[in-house]
Amino acid sequence: MTKLGEITVKVRVIGQRAARKVRVPQKTRITDLLDQLGQNRETVVVRLNGKIAAEEERLADGDSVEILTVVTGG
Amino acid sequence: MLKCSFCGRRAVYNRRYAGTLLCDRCMVKSVERRFRRAMGEHRLVSPGERVAVAVSGGKDSVTCTHLLADYCARKNCELVTVTVDEGVKGYREKSLPIARENAELLGVEHFVVSFEQAFGATLDKIVKLAKRRKTEFNPCTYCGVMRRSLLNQAARELGADKLATAHNLDDEVQAIMLNYIRADFSRLYRLGPSYQPREGFVPRIKPLREIPEKEVALYALLRGIKVHLGVCPYAGGIHTEIRDFLNQLETNHPNSKFMILRMFDRMKPHLIAAVPEFEMRKCEVCGEPTSTSICKSCELLQGLGLKQGQKTLISAKSLVNIAAS
Repeated sequence: MTKLGEITVKVRVIGQRAARKVRVPQKTRITDLLDQLGQNRETVVVRLNGKIAAEEERLADGDSVEILTVVTGG
Repeated sequence: MLKCSFCGRRAVYNRRYAGTLLCDRCMVKSVERRFRRAMGEHRLVSPGERVAVAVSGGKDSVTCTHLLADYCARKNCELVTVTVDEGVKGYREKSLPIARENAELLGVEHFVVSFEQAFGATLDKIVKLAKRRKTEFNPCTYCGVMRRSLLNQAARELGADKLATAHNLDDEVQAIMLNYIRADFSRLYRLGPSYQPREGFVPRIKPLREIPEKEVALYALLRGIKVHLGVCPYAGGIHTEIRDFLNQLETNHPNSKFMILRMFDRMKPHLIAAVPEFEMRKCEVCGEPTSTSICKSCELLQGLGLKQGQKTLISAKSLVNIAAS
C-alpha cells in the first residue's frame, strides 16, 4: 500500500526482468529512481510513459518507466 | 515538463556537460552537426574517395553508416560496408542481419568476412583453444588483433581510401585510460580522429570520436534506426572496469570524458615527437605489413596451433543465397 507522500511507478528494465511496481517519494526525478535501482544514468535511456525523457523529469503516481541499457561498450 | 534550451519543445535529454536540455529534433541536429564538424575539421574524407565502414550491426556502427551515407552522397564519395563475423554464437548471428538490412536500406554494398574463413577458426573456438593451452590472453585480445587485421585486409581489397570505424567518445577515452594503465606508448600515440599508418595499411578514421556513446544511442532511437543492442558474451575484464569507472566519474563530474580527450589531444603532438623509428616489413607467414618478423595475428594463431589461411570476401547477397540453399 502506498504511504502518504509516496507514489507508485511501474518500472521495467528492458531485457532483464518483468515489470515491477516501485514506491518512491513524491516529486522523485527519474535520476533518483535510477540511483535507487543501481542504474548509472550515463548508460541508459529512459522512456517515461512510452516517450524518451530527460532524467531530471519528475515522476507522477502511476507512471510507467522503461529503462533501456544502451552503453554496452566492448 | 522540461523544455528544450533552444526551441522550447519537450526535452528528451539533459546534456549536463554543456548545461543544455535538448528536444528530439535539436538532439538529432546536434549529433549530425558534431559529426560533420569532425569530418570537416580533421579532413577525414576528401571528395571522390572510397570509404569502407566497419559495421557490426550495433548502434555505433549502424549510426556511423547512416551518417556517412548522407555525407558521402553530398561529397561525391563512395561508401561500402564491411562486417567481420567473428563467430560468437548467440551474438553475431543476431547483429549481422541488422547490418545487412541497414546497408540495403541505404543502398550501400555490404561485404562479410569471417574469422572462420580467414583464420580457420571462429572466436568461440579460439577462446576454447586459448583456455586449453592456458595462454595469457583474453578473448578481447584475440578478437581485437584479428578483427583489425581482417578489416584492414578487407578495406584494402575493396580499394578503400579510408577505413571508418565507429569509435565514440567513450571508446576513445577508455582506450586512452587503458593505454595509460598498461603504459602502452605505441598504442597510445596512435589514438586520434584519424591515423595515417605506414604502407600496407588503409588510413583509419573515427567520425564519432567526439560523440558520447549515450548520444549515439539516443540518435539511433530518435531516428528509428534499427540497431542491435546486445552485449558480447566475452565483454569483461579491465575494459569493463574502466568503462564503469569513467561513467561514474562522468555522473559525478560532468564533462570529465571530454576533458580527458582534450588533454590527450593537446599532448599528442609531443608524444609523436617521441615515437621511435622502425622499419616496416612483411609478415613471414601471411605477408601482411608488420614492424616485426611475424604480425601479431599470426603470432597469436601460432600460439594456438592455428595457421592463417586465405582471406575471402563474400558479398552479403551470396551469403543469403548460401543460407537459403
